[in-house]
Amino acid sequence: MTSTRDLVRDERDQFAFHDDIVYLKETKRGLTRDTVEEISRFKNEPEWMLEFRLRAYDHFLKRKMPSWGGRLDDIDFDKIVYYRKPSEREEKSWDDVPEQIKATFEKLGIPEAERKFLAGVGAQYDSEVVYHSVREELTKIGVVFMGTDQALKEYPEIFRQHFGTVVPPEDNKFAALNSAVWSGGSFVYVPKGVEVPLPLQAYFRINGENTGQFERTLIVVDEGAKVHYIEGCTAPIYATDSLHAAVVEVVALPGSKVRYTTIQNWSNDVYNLVTKRAHAHARSTVEWVDANTGSRLTMKYPAIYLRGEGATAEVISVAVAGKGQHQDTGAKAVHLAPNTTSRIVSKSVSKDGGRATYRGQLKVAPGATGVTASVRCDALMLDDQSRSDTYPYIDIQEDDTTMTHEATVGKVSAEQVFYLMARGLTENEATNLIVQGFLEVFTKELPMEYAIEFNRLVKLEMEGSLG
Amino acid sequence: MTEVADPSSRPRPARAPRRSPTELAVTFLDRPFVEALVAERGEPGWLRDDRLAALTAFESLEVESNRLYTPYLDLRAARIEDAAPYTAVAVTPTGTGDLPAGVAALVEIREDGVAAVALDEAARAAGVRVLPLAALVRTDEVFARSLLDGGSILPADEKLAQLSRAAWSQGIVVHIPANVRVERPIVLRWAVGAARTLVGRTFIVLDDGAQASVVEELVQSDEVVAGAYGLLSATTEIRLGANARLAMASLQELGPDHVAFQQRLARIGEGADLRWALAQLGARLVRSRVDNVLAGDRSTVEQVEIVFGIGDQLHDLTSYTRHQGRDTTGQLLAKGVLMDNARSYMKGLISIEKTAIGTDSYLGEFGMNLSKHSRAVAIPSLEIDQPDCRRAMHSSSVGPIDESQLFYLESRGIAPDEARKFIVLGFLEPVVARVPLEDAQDRLREALEAKWAAGIGIGTIGGGSAAA
Repeated sequence: MTSTRDLVRDERDQFAFHDDIVYLKETKRGLTRDTVEEISRFKNEPEWMLEFRLRAYDHFLKRKMPSWGGRLDDIDFDKIVYYRKPSEREEKSWDDVPEQIKATFEKLGIPEAERKFLAGVGAQYDSEVVYHSVREELTKIGVVFMGTDQALKEYPEIFRQHFGTVVPPEDNKFAALNSAVWSGGSFVYVPKGVEVPLPLQAYFRINGENTGQFERTLIVVDEGAKVHYIEGCTAPIYATDSLHAAVVEVVALPGSKVRYTTIQNWSNDVYNLVTKRAHAHARSTVEWVDANTGSRLTMKYPAIYLRGEGATAEVISVAVAGKGQHQDTGAKAVHLAPNTTSRIVSKSVSKDGGRATYRGQLKVAPGATGVTASVRCDALMLDDQSRSDTYPYIDIQEDDTTMTHEATVGKVSAEQVFYLMARGLTENEATNLIVQGFLEVFTKELPMEYAIEFNRLVKLEMEGSLG
Repeated sequence: MTEVADPSSRPRPARAPRRSPTELAVTFLDRPFVEALVAERGEPGWLRDDRLAALTAFESLEVESNRLYTPYLDLRAARIEDAAPYTAVAVTPTGTGDLPAGVAALVEIREDGVAAVALDEAARAAGVRVLPLAALVRTDEVFARSLLDGGSILPADEKLAQLSRAAWSQGIVVHIPANVRVERPIVLRWAVGAARTLVGRTFIVLDDGAQASVVEELVQSDEVVAGAYGLLSATTEIRLGANARLAMASLQELGPDHVAFQQRLARIGEGADLRWALAQLGARLVRSRVDNVLAGDRSTVEQVEIVFGIGDQLHDLTSYTRHQGRDTTGQLLAKGVLMDNARSYMKGLISIEKTAIGTDSYLGEFGMNLSKHSRAVAIPSLEIDQPDCRRAMHSSSVGPIDESQLFYLESRGIAPDEARKFIVLGFLEPVVARVPLEDAQDRLREALEAKWAAGIGIGTIGGGSAAA
């Protein structure tokens, strides 16, 4: 079975590449008021956006670092480059993308993925969307899928109406930071009654040592519309730390349905501190399907505020914490309206001294009658150097809420491994199979190609403990 | 600005100044108070030093040391600015020393003195000691010092535990020597007057192989006076030697305007077994913390908690279960029923340390909200460093009365109010049934029925059928 492992190792190398890019525009290291103004000037933004950025910057300075969650001591805000532009203009078609960047994406398999089933691509290389294509039929039915910067210029009204309403800059320190220096990300607008037949996809990558990446995604799904958005990330491996502080806002208008799928596989030196939140209006459905296998520290709790009667929320969260990693992830469901439903499922695997933490909140506000909610957290620990924590917050302020919560922690049982080995599998293969089975609740929600990719990622993550 | 008299406006009622939920309005505890206490009681130097160390810790600590739980802390109802414990208390019991039937020992403490101390002759002959803490300091300073000095086993990060350690004026010691079995329960009664303050400590020490059962009663000693905020700040420290077994039931029925700070810690030795049942019925605000330290191999703890909140009651309960030894077992179950504006915060944390191979740990927190304005918070957490466990799980649920159960009972001719009572008491019954002492079970059932009646009397209960 050595050959299989070598193959796996090769795959890992394939993802750990770093191209030499000439950065055409970038700000000086560190964050000052000037940096913020400079970014806004570079982008030739309207006055209100500059004001928004400065308001966020002021709050960022005032706001203390979170005292809970993971270790953030090593983040040095003065060493980070807050804005860096890889190419001068946005590309409309694949042919126009600079060769070097294209080569990087080739390795990630974007063109094939697109041919197969993707509706569009917004690939982020460092801090700007460089490539963007929207299939003709999507344009015809009025779906907007473009870089966030471009959307600010082309769809100023709908942009301004929703931007910053779901995650205000004052929400937390890293949302404030993102709001001050954001660049890139995707903007999606799905008009009334339109169902997007294929998933929309964006690949994100970090490149450049100490490059902060602060993309900002805004998804507005109009009444009765339906969309599935997928993001996946890989990143080159560097010795020093990178910071990724994204903000994702989703507005699900009445009767709409949104699914947002993430496969996060940053390299193990990245701080991934992301604020993801959705507003679910009446009878809408919002689903976060969120997997975290990479990064040094991830602090991410996809949230759904159920604001309209009959709204539904679902979060499926999966985390794999390996050596030197801390996955502090979870979910948040805030019921603000009657007859709303939420379901949270969390699965975590920790190994080789990794730490997996589930941190979640379920809140039923006064007035939200007839709520049904469930939370289920399972953790699997593969060795006794690892650690698993569960911190569920359940706050019910209505008398007719039905809420259940369950959590278990366990290890891979010797009997299961023995059984599989008796069927001819090696111990490594048996363990791998058990872990994949444990995570299946997540994988089965993915389109097939992604399920395969995710299983491959898990296998890569498992390699350390299996080798 | 000219003031314009508006005949239609009525003077606003005087409102208490706005306070932060984390502000602890304890004003009596300072160095002069501690010095006065020591001087009045003629305490030895080490004890004075211990109190002063506690005072320093008290002054530097936050009320909630665990960042997980800081969002759920609300001390605004603790109107204890005027609280001032007695520095001089009577140490000689005023009671005759008669023992109620079926009881092995009785101690009754009031804020101003020891009301009764009585111990069964056979138990005394076996070497059992049940006496006020001050008496132990006088008669067996070595043992007293082993219990008290250095803060004993109290959590060093707990401000309210340090409050009791610095300011205690009353205390009870129960000491069961090795291999002695006390069959009948030992009754410990703490009685606090309206608007009075009592700061006390309880030590229960079971040497190797000893067995005992303890019933603790926390009551208001006199007439209820509306708006008279009293304070009980108390610690209970339990040490179980190898293979010792202790069953304990505590029934808290303080007055409606009492504030209770309760810190309980149990250190459980090899093969030892602790079962405790804690019922929270009374008081305006309870802030309670229980630490179970499963230090010895094969040690076990079973803890059940019952909360029944009505009116504006807030029960803020935290439990920590720390598994350290091999093959230890923790079983924690909390159930709460909430009416009117009552709130209950049930916070729990199981930690399985690296050494705790073969742990079996369960934490369950269940709430029943019976009114529009009640609020149940459950935070059942896990921190696990050792995956080689038999079981580590928690579960919780919050829900209303099950309408189908209600319908079933009503279809059998039971009146709606009666049916609701059955269902609510039935929800709590599995916990009541686990109270380790039968007498205490019966007393708790009566108290719960009375509480239900009081709850019905105070407000309306949510759901249509209550109006019937």
